[in-house]
This record gives sequence, structure tokens and C-alpha cells, in this order.
Amino acid sequence: MSSLIDYKNISIFLSGHSVLNIDHLAVPAHQCTLLTGKNGSGKTTLLKIMSGLLKPNSCTVHYQGLDLPWKQAKPYIQKDIIYLHQQPYLFDASVADNIAYGLYRAGESKSAAHHKVMQALDWANLTHLAHRSAKQLSGGEKQRVAVTRARILSPRLLLLDEPTASMDSDAKQQTCLLLQRLKSEGVSIMLSSHETHIIEHIADRHLHLENGSLKHIKQATTSGKVTSLNTIKNTP
Amino acid sequence: MNDLSQASLNAFQLLFSGNDDLWEVISLSFGVSFSAILIATPFALVIAFILAFFQFPFRRTLISLFNTFMSVPAVIIGLTLYLILSRSGPLGDLRLLFTSKAMVIGQIMLSFPLLVAMAHASFQSADRRAWETAITLGAAPSRAFFTLMYEVRFGLIAAIVAGFGRVVAEIGCSMMVGGNILHSTRNIPTAIALETSKGEFAQGIALGMVLLVLSLSLNAGVSIFQGKGELQA
Ligand SMILES: Nc1ncnc2c1ncn2[C@@H]1O[C@H](COP(=O)(O)OP(=O)(O)OP(=O)(O)O)[C@@H](O)[C@H]1O
Ligand SMILES: [Mg+2]
Repeated sequence: MSSLIDYKNISIFLSGHSVLNIDHLAVPAHQCTLLTGKNGSGKTTLLKIMSGLLKPNSCTVHYQGLDLPWKQAKPYIQKDIIYLHQQPYLFDASVADNIAYGLYRAGESKSAAHHKVMQALDWANLTHLAHRSAKQLSGGEKQRVAVTRARILSPRLLLLDEPTASMDSDAKQQTCLLLQRLKSEGVSIMLSSHETHIIEHIADRHLHLENGSLKHIKQATTSGKVTSLNTIKNTP
Repeated sequence: MNDLSQASLNAFQLLFSGNDDLWEVISLSFGVSFSAILIATPFALVIAFILAFFQFPFRRTLISLFNTFMSVPAVIIGLTLYLILSRSGPLGDLRLLFTSKAMVIGQIMLSFPLLVAMAHASFQSADRRAWETAITLGAAPSRAFFTLMYEVRFGLIAAIVAGFGRVVAEIGCSMMVGGNILHSTRNIPTAIALETSKGEFAQGIALGMVLLVLSLSLNAGVSIFQGKGELQA
């Protein structure tokens, strides 16, 4: 199985404590990886390091044939990887403007951007919210807007921090539906969650974070179904 | 009492008859204070942002320093600047003393700590996620900075308005480094002091009314913007 990106020797100390110490983390392409771990086990920290938002004490990144220290890899990974907060932050603007935010970088013309935004809204069934103020949306709606805002930039890897936390079952289902669609479009996904039962049918792999290292991997079989018995140590 | 009401009446007449000297003083006041705030604000915002969002040695010390400098009296700043700009001072050769440029410099020094401290508080209240979201969506740090400023715009506007309010009404510094020269460095506060001491109450009251209305509306503006900022959060 080819991996999209590899992180090696990830370690980070926060306030003098070692939070993460991971030998090797491979993110497979076009798959969904579930990341679990107790509160405070370092899930958020790991996802932020992976997305280039949080500087680790050490980490090398193998990406697109290059082996680079995290700091030098940062521009590349920030270009292709998007991180979504547990409670997504929407800017103080309309939903449509929020979704258009990242298009600015691509130098899209106004009309092209508008067209893309309308398409994206349609894709996520959010057209009815286009002109609403983003700050007034419910948590579930915010999450879906954030997913759409990320998708429009065609990321290669999407990192989601507990995307279904504190949502009702309806909102959870809708969020999962979007993630499923993203996956079928070829976007690689890694998400942290405590709610394995909801995510399990999207996830191809399952990593568990404990004492700062990735302990167990539940690998995908060839059919793509998760076999929970197939537990492998993540140390090479 | 009769004198006073007569003087007030005259003050209104002066204001609305378009007395040139009076309006010159008013426009000089605005010109100097606007320039000072215009120059000070960009630097203050960047410093406030860095203080709020980055970790580096002496960060805390710097923050308390700015908070402390907020309470330095205007005359002390005037005195310091006077000594620097006077003939024998280190910058005496620039010949800036008793010019409106010196007043602008003084007001920049006066407003800077206030601008930094208030803008810092706004940035501090901003959500870290706003910055991270902008970055992860591909914004360059400069654009992320503007995005963040937009998110806390009400607090920042309140800071700017408060800064303007402080400098437009101060007298100590303008008097010392400006010298209250007619047609050149006479602004509202120094003119009020002069006219009143000369017994020209109408002039003093007219300018006093302008300043009072201005200060009250600026203060109202500050609390309105701060209130909006809180509603946002
Ligand atoms: N800025 C920080 N300074 C110091 N310690 C931190 C900081 N951020 C996180 N930590 C610590 O690092 C550890 C991992 O935190 P992290 O937020 O990554 O956990 P998590 O697995 O996401 O937890 P949760 O399930 O509650 O979201 C925790 O012990 C936390 O206290
Ligand atoms: Mg977390």
C-alpha cells in the first residue's frame, strides 16, 4: 500500500512533558484513518504537527519523494493538507464568503470563485445557508461548512479533529456522509474521534495513541473492511 | 453669571459665524492628532499582534512596560521631547521644536502605549483558531494577520478611537513642544488655556464646547465598539 506522506521520529515536549514520541507514521493514500486515544493523549497535538500548524521538537517528513525536516516540509504540507478544528472556526462573514476564503490564494477570478462556491454549496447541500452569517450557524452546520471550505481547495489530506463531537445523530450522519463522499473523491482522511462506532464504517485503518506513541493499528484488509483482530505493532 | 451666559452666547456666534481663527485652531488640532494616530496605529497593531500571538523572551515584560507607559503624564512626555528637540538636545539640529511636527511626534509617543495595550487586549481575546484556520486554508501570514484584524475589528477601532481621544484633548505635551503659536501650533486645548487666561471667555467656551462634544462622542464610540466586540465573542 503506497503512503501519501510519512512522518518519522515525531517528538514534542509541551511545558517540559513529552507528549508525543512516534517512530513512524505512514498516512496511506485515498484512505480514511481513524485515530483514537484518551483525552489528553495527544491527538490534537499530532494532527496539528501533521498539518504544519504546530512545530514539533523533532520530525522528518517524507513527501513526494523528498525527505525533509518538518520545518522545511512545512510549505509543502500546508499546501496539500488541511486541518479542521474540533469546533471549526468560521470567519465573521457569510457562509459563501467563508467557503471562498482559500480560493483567494489560487488567484481565482471573482466569477470563477463564485461559481466554485455555488458548486461546493450544492455538493454539501448547504445552498440554503449561502447568505447566512456564519457565526450564527449551529455546530453541525459549522462543521459541514468547514468541510466544504476545505474541500474546495482540493487538499490531498484532510485532518479532522473529532468532527462529530457534540452533535446530534442527524448532524453526525450528515457529516459522515460528506466525509464518505470526500473519500470516494480520492481525498485521504485522518480523523480523531472517541466515537468509533460512528466512524468505523468509513475508516480503513485505526490507530490508537497511548503514552505518546501509536500502539495498535487495525489494518484494512484488501476488501477495505476493517479487521479488528488484525492488530499490528507500529514499531518497525 | 450674566457674564458667563453672555460669553456662551458669543461662543455660539463665534462657532457658527465661521470665525477664521477659531476654525484654524480646530483644524490644526484635528490635523495634528489625525497624523499622529495615522502614523502610530500600523506599528502599534503589528506590535500588539506579535505580543499576543508569539512567544519570545521578555514578552511579559514588554506588555507590562506598555501598560505602565500608558500612565506617563503628557507633560512628562512633553518635557522629555522638549529636551531632546531643544537646541542643545540630541536632535536639536532638526529644528523641530515649536513646530506642529513636534506636536505630532509628542502625540505619537503619547498614544502609542495606549494603542498597543488596547490592541493587545483585542488580539488576546481573538480566537487562536482564527489564525490557524487562515494559515491552514493557505493564507500567507500577512493575509492571516489582516483576517485576524477583521475578526477583532471592533476592539481595534475602539483602541484607535480611544487613542485619538487621548491625544486630541491633551494639553501638556502640545504646550511644551508646540509653544501655542498662532497660525502654527495653536490647537484646541492650548487655545482654551490662553484665551481663558486672557479673559476671552467666549473663545475659550466655544473651543471647550467643540472639545467636549468631541470627547463625549469619542468615548461613546469606544464603548459602542467595545460592546459590539463583546457581542461578537
Ligand atoms: N500549549 C500547551 N502547553 C502545554 N501542554 C499542552 C499544550 N497543548 C496541549 N498540552 C498537553 O498535551 C497533551 C495532549 O493534548 P491534546 O490536546 O493533543 O490531547 P487530545 O488527545 O487532543 O485530547 P482531547 O481528547 O481532550 O481532545 C495534554 O496532556 C495537554 O495537557
Ligand atoms: Mg483534542
